[in-house]
Amino acid sequence: MRYIFVILILVCAVLQAAQPVIPIERYMLKNGMRVILSRDNAVPVVTIYLIFDVGARAEEKGRTGFAHLFEHMMFEGSAHAPKGTHFKLVESNGGTLNGSTHPDYTDYFEVLPANKLAVGLWLESDRMRSLDITPENLANQKEAVKQERRLSFDNRPYSTAIVDRWPQVAFQNWQNSHSLIGSFEDLNAATVDDVAKFFRTYYAPNNAVMVIVGDIQIPQTRKLIEEYFGDIPSQPKLAKPDLSEPATPAPRSDTYRDAHARVPGVIIGYPAPPRHSADYYALGMVDVLLTGGPSSRFQLDLVKGKESVIQYQAEIGWPFASSTDYKDPGDYAMFLLFKPNFTPRQIVDQAQEEIAKIQNEGLDMKEMERARTLMRSERITSLQSSLRRAQLLGQYEILDGKPELINTDLEKFLAVTPVQIQAVAKKYLTPERRSILDIIPAPPEAPPYQPKEN
Amino acid sequence: MRPILFLLTGTMLMSQTIDRTKPPETPPIPAFKMPPVHETKLPNGLAVVLVGDSRFPLVSVRLSFQAGSKFDPEDTAGLSEAVASLLTQGTKTRSFRDLAEELTSIGASLNGHTSPDVLTLSGSVLSENTAKLLDLLADVALNANFPENEVALRRQNRKQALLAQQSQPAFLAHEKFDELVFGAHPYTHIAPTVESLDRMDQKTLIRFRDTFLAPNNAVLVLVGQLPGRAETLKLVRERFGTWKQSPVPAAPARNFPESKRQLVLVDRPGSVQADIHVGRLAATRTDPDYYPLLVGNAILGGGGSSRLFLDVREKKSFAYDAHSELDRRKDAGVVTAVTQVRNEVVEPAMEAVLANLSEMAKAPVTAAELSNTKNYISGVFLIGLETQASLADQVDLVKTMGLPEDYLEMFTTRVRSVEPDKIQAAAQKYLAPDKATIVVVGDASKIEKSLEKFGAVQVEKAK
Repeated sequence: MRYIFVILILVCAVLQAAQPVIPIERYMLKNGMRVILSRDNAVPVVTIYLIFDVGARAEEKGRTGFAHLFEHMMFEGSAHAPKGTHFKLVESNGGTLNGSTHPDYTDYFEVLPANKLAVGLWLESDRMRSLDITPENLANQKEAVKQERRLSFDNRPYSTAIVDRWPQVAFQNWQNSHSLIGSFEDLNAATVDDVAKFFRTYYAPNNAVMVIVGDIQIPQTRKLIEEYFGDIPSQPKLAKPDLSEPATPAPRSDTYRDAHARVPGVIIGYPAPPRHSADYYALGMVDVLLTGGPSSRFQLDLVKGKESVIQYQAEIGWPFASSTDYKDPGDYAMFLLFKPNFTPRQIVDQAQEEIAKIQNEGLDMKEMERARTLMRSERITSLQSSLRRAQLLGQYEILDGKPELINTDLEKFLAVTPVQIQAVAKKYLTPERRSILDIIPAPPEAPPYQPKEN
Repeated sequence: MRPILFLLTGTMLMSQTIDRTKPPETPPIPAFKMPPVHETKLPNGLAVVLVGDSRFPLVSVRLSFQAGSKFDPEDTAGLSEAVASLLTQGTKTRSFRDLAEELTSIGASLNGHTSPDVLTLSGSVLSENTAKLLDLLADVALNANFPENEVALRRQNRKQALLAQQSQPAFLAHEKFDELVFGAHPYTHIAPTVESLDRMDQKTLIRFRDTFLAPNNAVLVLVGQLPGRAETLKLVRERFGTWKQSPVPAAPARNFPESKRQLVLVDRPGSVQADIHVGRLAATRTDPDYYPLLVGNAILGGGGSSRLFLDVREKKSFAYDAHSELDRRKDAGVVTAVTQVRNEVVEPAMEAVLANLSEMAKAPVTAAELSNTKNYISGVFLIGLETQASLADQVDLVKTMGLPEDYLEMFTTRVRSVEPDKIQAAAQKYLAPDKATIVVVGDASKIEKSLEKFGAVQVEKAK
């Protein structure tokens, strides 16, 4: 009882501070799998989140898109849960699931009614132990990935520019600049042996972190995890590929003619500081000032004010990451859609001018306070979902080895001073370090088909 | 005795080794337990719903009006949407900048949006600033003044957004589909047009505001770490109590065309794939057919173990996505099977979609499908109520859509009571494709021939 009481007091005390404290229990199985448990019994829901230390940036030449193709294979069945079982069992137990491939990690989740936890653990352990890798499954998933590419990229405005072209503008190292979704040619070339080797190396328990958040009992959960995962053998780790970019950025400009876009756009990026350096936190606050919430400078000065920009997004790590899962090298990048009576050059100049104001003029304390409040309320809002908490815990573990950052990272953003903000804007967000990709609407010129007139 | 028994059970559990070859047995999904709700009505007719939720230091608000896009004047499609987005762009005493800065400084958001039935102001705030958010909400709802410059800017930007929407095949499909199934009813418009945007001046917007944004046409929902009930109601009365009642026009009559088989191909030159939509009018949430249709629709195309997903995606590899959806408006439902396939397989893919629809009407669903799907719907419903925003949305939905008081708590029970014969009957009524409207968006030069066997193809140009 006393223990619970102390925890409650602690939670209440911190509520008055920055954010609610997320409890963390962290340990490692004998096979090297890291486990993070976080109990919250407010709603009868549980999230199982598995994150693997491999992403698209680990791909080899000739195998672009392989990490993502492999992610699809994870849903194709395992020794005791044959093809189709994964979706069926999660859904028939009232849950939702998905997987996603990122530059630096790949993740899978199940969100279930809390009393269905064991079902999710059984499924995840069966596929980690004995994934079913067959030529039929591989052929089928190659088609599914190609169809995903047609749907989500080739047939949509801006997507190809953002996903395939922008990394080529922003990066020089092939590991960073190649396509995450991959070429049809490389997808076709993937073999069953490639899949088996990738699975053995990267999906071993010592390359994984399992996070469970929600209405759980810690001792029972620990026991279940031991029983399901404890004896899956670990594997030797492979050296990580060299992701480094040249020390001096070589900014580039390019143009993409987009057959599906109707509204012009531009992407602007600046190489960003290392994750969790002092400069990273300061740049995070610059981003809030420029683009966060309805009173951001872009909103007040460009969307209103100059009435040039229509919509914008910006992030450290954009487009594949956000500031929470950004890993260097990467850009602080922004994507702006604008009215056709402006040129891309004018838009770039206007964005740079907003940055220059931060570099050259002092910050007003009210604006600083607003930025901090916005950061805090957005973080608290996002923590409501067990899936989001699990993602943050898993990503902080995989990328930093420090899941406790979920409780402390916000404070570091809030502690940034106006002087640091000015300094980081001057150091990083200069025209000399800037890369640009113009996206020009280029609809097919003459429609190849004329409908019959009545 | 009891403690000893308890201990024994515990020991047995501990020593038991689990069978890893089979999925574990687990208890049934729990039902949703609604936190305590307090409802009241102010003398001016404003319905107020308070729900305590102390998990996070946040409060969510919804102020909803029976003023969705079905209330748009015939020649001004998109007016409700314009009012919703401009409400937060300036009031008699606050400019857009004032509103934006005040909201950010209290850790709040406040946005207007519109659905076919309801116009809603949605907000959230750090709970210590609840009173301040209510100040801003009241100011926006009662005193928005639609400044000329904001109206003009919104018009220009909406025209650009419309262009962007028109480049999306899914938008083109929805636009055509809704036009065909809703006929002359205002549900037919899913977006403004360039002409209707030009018609929306300050006067038009104010007229819509004065007609529909009345307390007797609204419900205010507050969910979160609220001050005590009396204190919260006092905050509400102080800000909304003097708001004047006014008579509100009735909703447009529920006149929809008879369902019939028709096939329209919207030409989108250069499209590398075809978007296929097959569907028709169906039951609303308050119709006796609703729960059988809900379960039947999920068996057909809800999630990764549904028939469409397993057949069109997993077995035949025609598509990345194949699903069916239930559009649940207040005055009409629509059920639609949707997939996007590469140009070469349009014909067999269409055959597969139609065959799956027919099969739902021909034979009862299996016991396993039924039990799995009921669990799926119940679990997803429970998970969907995890965050405060989703709870606020659900409470708001019950009030604005005129659903029974016990809708949220009884949802799972009602889903569980659906029988296979009822599903088949609903499928015969709503899923059988003999009277389905088919809309395909794609490159007509490449796919028109593949569609001819499914009926007379009417080719139309994309706008």
